[in-house]
Amino acid sequence: MSVIETTALTMQFGAQRALDALDLDVPSGVTGLVGANGAGKTTLMSIALGLRPQTAGAIRVLGLDPMRDGAELRSLVGYGPERNLLPEDMPAFDFVKHLSEVRGMPRVEARSRASDALWLVGLGEERFRALGTMSTGQRQRVKLAQAIAADPSVVLLDEPTDGLDPVQRDEMLNLIRQISEEYSIDVMLSSHLLEEVERVCDHIVALDAGVLVAQGSLADLIGDEDGITVELVEIDDHPDSVSEVATRLERAGLEVRVDRVTLQVIGPDRDQLLDLTRDAIADVGARVRRIVTRRRTLEDLFTKVPQ
Amino acid sequence: MTTAEIFDRGYRRFDGDRSGTLGAVRSLAWHSMRGILGLGRKARHKIFPIVVIVLAFLWPIIFIGLAALFPIDIFADELRPEYWELARFPLVVMAIMLFSAMVVPEALVRDRRNGMLPLYLSTPLTRATYLLGKVLAVMSCLAIVTVGPALLLLLGVTFEGEGPDGPLNWAKVAGQIFLAGTGMAAVFAAVGLAVSSLTDRRAFASVAVVLVLFGSGAIVAGLVEGAEMSENLRVFNVVDMGIEVAPRIFGAAEGEGERGPEASLSDSTYLAGVFGWVGVSAAVLWARYRRIGAV
Repeated sequence: MSVIETTALTMQFGAQRALDALDLDVPSGVTGLVGANGAGKTTLMSIALGLRPQTAGAIRVLGLDPMRDGAELRSLVGYGPERNLLPEDMPAFDFVKHLSEVRGMPRVEARSRASDALWLVGLGEERFRALGTMSTGQRQRVKLAQAIAADPSVVLLDEPTDGLDPVQRDEMLNLIRQISEEYSIDVMLSSHLLEEVERVCDHIVALDAGVLVAQGSLADLIGDEDGITVELVEIDDHPDSVSEVATRLERAGLEVRVDRVTLQVIGPDRDQLLDLTRDAIADVGARVRRIVTRRRTLEDLFTKVPQ
Repeated sequence: MTTAEIFDRGYRRFDGDRSGTLGAVRSLAWHSMRGILGLGRKARHKIFPIVVIVLAFLWPIIFIGLAALFPIDIFADELRPEYWELARFPLVVMAIMLFSAMVVPEALVRDRRNGMLPLYLSTPLTRATYLLGKVLAVMSCLAIVTVGPALLLLLGVTFEGEGPDGPLNWAKVAGQIFLAGTGMAAVFAAVGLAVSSLTDRRAFASVAVVLVLFGSGAIVAGLVEGAEMSENLRVFNVVDMGIEVAPRIFGAAEGEGERGPEASLSDSTYLAGVFGWVGVSAAVLWARYRRIGAV
C-alpha cells in the first residue's frame, strides 16, 4: 500500500499556487521531499496531516482521507515540525510522554515509550533536562523522539537537520535510516539539501514552486553509475593532448563531454571505459591528474529540468 | 567471574488500543490543569494559584473552625452563610476574578507562544477538541474556587451535625453546589478564554480580562444608577451575571440573604444575559481558533 497517494492535488493561497496538480505515489521506506524554500513541502505535509483542506484533487495517507478521518490518521502519524520552538520550562521526558498520551498511548505505556524514544535518539541521560536549556541539535532529537514515541506507522519530519552541524547531521540521518530499517516506520522528510536526501532516502519527491519536478526511487532517478570523469593536465608543448584523447574515445564509440581539461566519458561498461581511457591517454601521451568513476547526483536532475 | 550484560530494550511496537479523541482530550485537559495550577513546575508557578485558593477557602475554614470551637447556636443559625452566599463574599469573588484574569490566559496563550499548538493539531486533536480540552481544564480549575468553598462548608456543618436533614436533602444541596459552581465557572471561563484568544501576550490578556470584568460592572453602574436607564442593562455586568448563578440555582427568594441588585432581573432576562455572555465568548474563541495554528 502507498503511504501517501495524491491525484491532481492542488493548493491555492489567493493568487499563489502552492501545489500544482500533484500526482504522487509515495511507497514504504524513507522518502525525501526536496525543493527550495517555498516549494510547497510544508504545505504538502500539512494537507497530509489533515490540517488544511486542499483546493482541488484528492489525497490518501495510509489509505485514509486526511480531512474526513483526520483524528484516526493522526494517531498513526508522527510529526516533527520545522520550527524549533518548544516549551522552555518542560523537561524533555514530560514533553515526549505528554504528546504520546495525546496520540493515544495509555499512561504507563507513554512513560516507558517516552524513555525509550529519548534513549534511542541519544538523550537518555538528559531526558529530565528542561527543553529551554537544550541546544539546537538536542531539540531536533527531542522533536524526533516525540514523533516516534507513540509507535506511528509513518513519521513526517519537516527539515529535521535544519541548524545542525555536519556531525550532528550525520547522526540525525543515521537515526532516520535506523527508524526506517529497524523499526519499519515509514519516513517522509523534507529538506532543501539534495545531498542529504541522496544519502538517506529510498525515494524522492522533488518539488519546485509547487510543481512536481521528479519522483521515483533514488536508483531510478540518478542511476547507479554512469561513466567516469577524467581530469587531464595541460601540457605546454602538446596543447592538443586533451582533444586528442577525446577524439580517440569518441572513435571507440563512447560519448565524451569536454569541459576544458575535464572529460566526462559515458558508456555502458565501466571496466571497458577505464581500459579504453587508459589506452587513449597512453597513446596520446597526455598527462593525467585523476580518473574517478562518475555518479550522477540529484543536482544533475534539477539542472536538467528546463526552467 | 561476573558477566555484564547490556540490555537493549530497543523499540517496541504497540498493539493495544489507542485512546482516540477522548483520551487526547482527557490528556490535554489534565496536562493543562497541571500547568495552570503550577503542578510539576517550578515553585514560583505554584505560589499564585495557592494564594488564590487559600483566599477562597478562608471564610468557610474560619467559620467551621469557630463553630467547632464555640458550639453555640449563633454559629449554627444566624452567622452561618447560605451555601450560595459564599460566592458573593469579597474574598471568593476576588479569588474567582484573579483566577479568570491571571490563570485562565495561561491555558491558551502559552501553547501559542511555545509551539505546542501546531504539535497538538498534529495529534488526534482537532481545533474543536483542543478547545474542549482547554475549556474542561479551565472550568475544573475555576471549580476549585466556585464549588470548593461551598462544598467545604457543607462538609463542615455535616460533621458538626448541622447539615441538611437526610441523605436525599444532602444530595440535593451537594448537587446544587456543583451545578452552581459549574455555572459560575462556565461564565468566567468563557470570558477569560475569549479575551485570551485575542492576544499572544499573557500580560495583555490578564489586563484585558480585568478590564472586561471591572469595566462591564462600571459601565452598567454608570448607565443604570447614574443615567437611570433600564434595570435590564444589568445583564451587561459579567461579574454579577456569573455570581448570580448560585442564588438562582438554589432558588433563593429576592430579599433573602445578601444579594446584589441583579436579583431583581426576571429569570428569562437573567438567562438571556448569562447565555449571551457565554455565547458571544464562545463565538469569539472559535472565530480566532478556526484559522490559526495550522502548520
